[in-house]
Amino acid sequence: MTKLNCESVCMASMAIADGYQCELSSDQIEAHLASCADCRREVGQLRALSSLLDAQERRQRTENVWQRVEPRLSDASPAPSNSQTWHPFILLGGLLLGYRIVEMVPDRDFGFIFKLVPVLLVIAAFSYLRENPFKINSELRLEGGTR
Amino acid sequence: MDDRAAIERCRAGDKEAFRYVVEHYQAEAIGHAVAILGNREDAMDAVQEAFIDTFQALNRLDLTRRFYPWFYIILRNRCYKLAAGRKRREVSSSDGMEILAPTSNIQPEDTMLLEQAMFELPAEDRELITLRHLDGLSYQELAKRLEVPQGTIMSRLYHARKRLREKLKRHSFTGLSEG
Repeated sequence: MTKLNCESVCMASMAIADGYQCELSSDQIEAHLASCADCRREVGQLRALSSLLDAQERRQRTENVWQRVEPRLSDASPAPSNSQTWHPFILLGGLLLGYRIVEMVPDRDFGFIFKLVPVLLVIAAFSYLRENPFKINSELRLEGGTR
Repeated sequence: MDDRAAIERCRAGDKEAFRYVVEHYQAEAIGHAVAILGNREDAMDAVQEAFIDTFQALNRLDLTRRFYPWFYIILRNRCYKLAAGRKRREVSSSDGMEILAPTSNIQPEDTMLLEQAMFELPAEDRELITLRHLDGLSYQELAKRLEVPQGTIMSRLYHARKRLREKLKRHSFTGLSEG
């Protein structure tokens, strides 16, 4: 057998020992191991290492993180969920549409302040969401990590 | 109080409920962060930041899913981000043991050598080996936790163990009698 096949057999042998069903069957693996001393030695050592690791225990941790987290929470609050985030934008869209309709009424001049209404609405929406519309989000994994 | 009730209270702004979440998972989180980062101080920083990220992102958590696997993704991001931005620090625990605990059926010297060899591995290898062998995660659970296919787990775990074996050989470790 080629070196690649030897590696595939060793890998599959370890995976089966871990309880994972891979493409190679136990019979194929055993047949190869019976005829390949290098693979027998390799698998033997890796299984011994695996047993040694299985017998270990994780060190129990006693550190207290809460004392470090609590002071930082005074500035933090749960951000709205993705679905909640859309609600103000739907409302904003509705209000801007209403503004446009009112603006189209002929022979009416509401003055300069009225022209600022769309800008004020947008500022109000982003203030409510506590979001900077010009911010580049570099935490993409965080937002996608809801599994 | 269970996780779901605590998280619902956190979402309403109850910080005491978040204290329950932090204290419930901090030991596990620190253990995982130490396995990735290799030292306690960086691990504490990463866990602290991960819990703050988590508090702010709680509304994005699907309450039908378990909290810790979701939190682990945030923690892992924080750990690798921190690891990318600093040089490796030396292990600083008093007994030199940060990941493994002494066990009755294994010589303490063997456990220390094993831990030393683990610290010489790349962080990804150390993370995978500890999740598999210390936490007992299956390939399916590992694949979900690390967001990669099970075949990738099989390959990465095989190569991680091989690298660990080589490190142990360099330390003249004698505890690998072929079973």
